[in-house]
Amino acid sequence: MRVTVSFYSYFKDLTGCGGTSEELSDGSTLEDLFQALVVRFPKLGAMRKATLMAVGLDYQQSSYVLKEGDEVSLFPPVQGG
Amino acid sequence: MKKQVIITAAAINEAALLSERVMTPGMGAIVCFVGVVRGTEGNAYISALEYEAFQRMAEHQINLLFDEMARRWPLESVRLVHRVGRVKVNEPSLWVEVIARHRGEAFAACQWLIDELKRAAPIWKKPVNDDGSLKDAN
Repeated sequence: MRVTVSFYSYFKDLTGCGGTSEELSDGSTLEDLFQALVVRFPKLGAMRKATLMAVGLDYQQSSYVLKEGDEVSLFPPVQGG
Repeated sequence: MKKQVIITAAAINEAALLSERVMTPGMGAIVCFVGVVRGTEGNAYISALEYEAFQRMAEHQINLLFDEMARRWPLESVRLVHRVGRVKVNEPSLWVEVIARHRGEAFAACQWLIDELKRAAPIWKKPVNDDGSLKDAN
């Protein structure tokens, strides 16, 4: 299955792009996706504990099982206000 | 409860927001909070903050917070405006208004909303140096 990924804030600087897509096997989780992305974008690796993950418009845990076409967003802790 | 969230690159126009205020006879308290950009970040002077938002998700998350507010307190309305883009020192970056029958719930709900906004809304800021360049945030 294929999912799309968007990066926000300084994750765009770490990856050099605003987003990408990733091919994953069925049953893959957000954690699996993150580890696959680290292979392509090694600087993300150091940010694992500071990474927030969303699917669509809602936050999800790393154990979330992805579906074909999911729109994933990865970003650092938020700082609004 | 009436609710409105606006995330905008335009300057926050407090006079216009006040002119759009809607009250009903039973309402007795308005709490309005304005967050402005401070001229220092840590020990360094800055000229502005550059705000970025994942806008659709931020609006969704803030609406979820509004729903929770409606469950917790008897409120008449809540409005929230958040800037994106470059906001200069002393300019407002956040405007919140909560209207209720009594001050207790209005103060409590406003404080809660701002705390939760900082936890849940995907909005980020980078300090801007005096020369207009962005400081590295990571």
